[in-house]
Parts: sequence; C-alpha cells; structure tokens
Amino acid sequence: MPPRQKAASMSTYKRMLRKEIRKRAGDHEANFLNITAMMDMMTIILVFLLKSMAASSASIPQSADLTMPKSILTTEASQEGVAVLISKTHIVLDDQAIVDVPQDASHGVEAKFKRGGPNDLYITKLGQVAKDWRERDRQIRLATGKDPSGSEAIIIADKDTPYRLLVEVLFTLGQTEFNKYHLMVLQGVKK
Amino acid sequence: MAAEPEKLSAAQRSKVRKLATPKELAPDEEGGELNIVPFLDIIMNVLMFVLATVTTTFTATIDTLPPKAGGHGPKPTDAPTLGLTILIVPEGFSMKAKGGNVGPGCDSIGGGLAVAKAGADYDYPAVTRCVAKLKGSNDAFADETNVTISANPNIPYSTVIGTIDAVRKTEDGKELFPDVNFGLAK
Repeated sequence: MPPRQKAASMSTYKRMLRKEIRKRAGDHEANFLNITAMMDMMTIILVFLLKSMAASSASIPQSADLTMPKSILTTEASQEGVAVLISKTHIVLDDQAIVDVPQDASHGVEAKFKRGGPNDLYITKLGQVAKDWRERDRQIRLATGKDPSGSEAIIIADKDTPYRLLVEVLFTLGQTEFNKYHLMVLQGVKK
Repeated sequence: MAAEPEKLSAAQRSKVRKLATPKELAPDEEGGELNIVPFLDIIMNVLMFVLATVTTTFTATIDTLPPKAGGHGPKPTDAPTLGLTILIVPEGFSMKAKGGNVGPGCDSIGGGLAVAKAGADYDYPAVTRCVAKLKGSNDAFADETNVTISANPNIPYSTVIGTIDAVRKTEDGKELFPDVNFGLAK
C-alpha cells in the first residue's frame, strides 16, 4: 500500500484553488458564442425588408397575365397616383377589378362597356370608379395644400396590351380629370 | 538546487475541483430573463426564406399626358417647328415633321415609311438616327423635346415603350425627344 501523501500548506492550497477557479472561469466563457446582437440585427433587417417590399413597386406581381415591358430608363419609379393595372384579362383600378379584357383586345374592351358603342374610347365603369377616386383625391389634395386641379395615375400594363386598349384607358382617365400618367416599366436593357 | 513544489493531497485536489467548478444556475435562478433564442431562430429562418424567394425588380416610370385626338401638334408660330409625330404601323414607322411626311431615309419629305422593319423586328436604332437627323436639320429645332406617338390599334405596348426609348436620346446620350404625348389614330 503506497504511503498517503502529506497535505500541502494552506497557502499552497489557496493558490492552487485560485488558479483553478481562474482556469475554469476562462473555459466557461469560451463555451459558447454570444449571437444575440447579431440576431437583433437580423430581426431589424427582416422587418425593414418586409416593410420596404410591401410598400414598393417590387411587390407588383409578374406573371403570365401581367408582364411589364422593359425600358432603358433607370430613373426611380414615381409612387404618386392611383395604380391602374391592365392585364391580359382585367382592368384593375385601386385593387378593384373593373372590366374584363377580351381575348382580342385590338378593338379595346367590349362595346357594352363603352359609353357610345364600339368606336367610343370612354369605358363607362372605369370612368365611374376613377371619378370616385378622383373626388377623394381632390379632397385630400385640398386638405394637404396640393394642386387639386388634377390627379395622377400609375399605369401598369402588360407588354402585349394593344395600343387601342391603352388609349381607351388613358382617354377615360383623362376625361375624369387625371392629367398626368406614369407608365411603369421594368428597368433593364431590351434585347 | 531548487526546492520541489509542494503537491496537494488527493483530498485537497478533490476539494479544489469541487470549489472551482462554476455553479449551473437553475432555470428559476437565471435572472428572470426570457429565453428568446427559439424566437430568434424562427426569425432567422424567415429572413433566409424571404431573401431566397423574393426576386427584386427595379421599376421606372415614363411620365406622359392624356392622349389628344387629331395630332395637330403645337400651334404654328413664326419660328420653324419640327412638330414630330411618329405613327407605329405593322410594317415600321411613319413619321411626320415640318408639316409633311418624312420619306424613306429621313432625308426629305415624301411618301412611304420613314423607317421600315428590319426583318421581323422593329428597327429602333434606325429610328434614333432618323429623329436625330430631323432634329439636327435646323438649329431652331434644338430646344424641341415633344414628340407625339401614335400607333395602329393592334400594336403592342412593348413596341410603344421601345419607340419612346428610341426617341429619348441618342446612343451617345444626347437628349432628343423625352416628352411624349400619345395621339389617337383616326
């Protein structure tokens, strides 16, 4: 049987204890990475992205029904005015579907939707809805000190929209005191 | 000769290990803080999902005014005006300027299309060259920036936008006709 080791002095014992505590404390700190700050940052970025994407034109759906044409323009898109969408199937004003677009729209919308027959350019229902929106916008413009004499519209049209249909929409809006249009296009060099 | 360092006994070593081990705090002793790590994990996953799925598109807008019937252009004044009007037809571009129809080659007034299609596609570079030539034909036209664009009823919107781009500026960036009005073809 090996002889029992003699206990060290109290000063040695305390020195060794302090040394061991320091060593363990250091080990403990290196056991994990504090990523809370990075996570906070990520949360802020996420909220910012969701907020900015919801409010920007990037949220405009690009699908087979509505594909905007490309342009060489690189200026920032205007966000002023009511959004008027002309897809392959519908004309939409302020998120409200107004009239259907026929399969062959080279003569515009169907005659029953127009004020004076097939050759007229004025789309009755679109005109009514645009008039309501225009009245609300006029009140807002008066209240905010802007020029109330006319409103603006952002035209988001499919790249295959026939010129006749485009002109019918622009003409109808023009008849309801919309005096400036912003034709929305995708930035990028055309092929 | 240096003295050998004093060694701890087994009991002392055991006691040192025990005292030096950091205490594991019980859940109710952790300072009352919420454990938000699972929440942050979810946020992280959502962020990655959003970034991976969203395709960012950059848009621009072309400002224009309500269409005018007839396409009469500006009122005549003493100074000569170009009064450029472009009509897009299925075969190419017909142009009117200086009160007459621009003939092929954009050199003179005459019948026919100013710029015909190049094969199956519209020849936008030729349109740019043509309107640049028309604008440069007289110094009085240098300040004119308005163009009236009209098209046959079945001409697609992308062709109209292509034409607007073609007359906006020259290839070297010189401004031509950035202010567009739409005309109604009769």
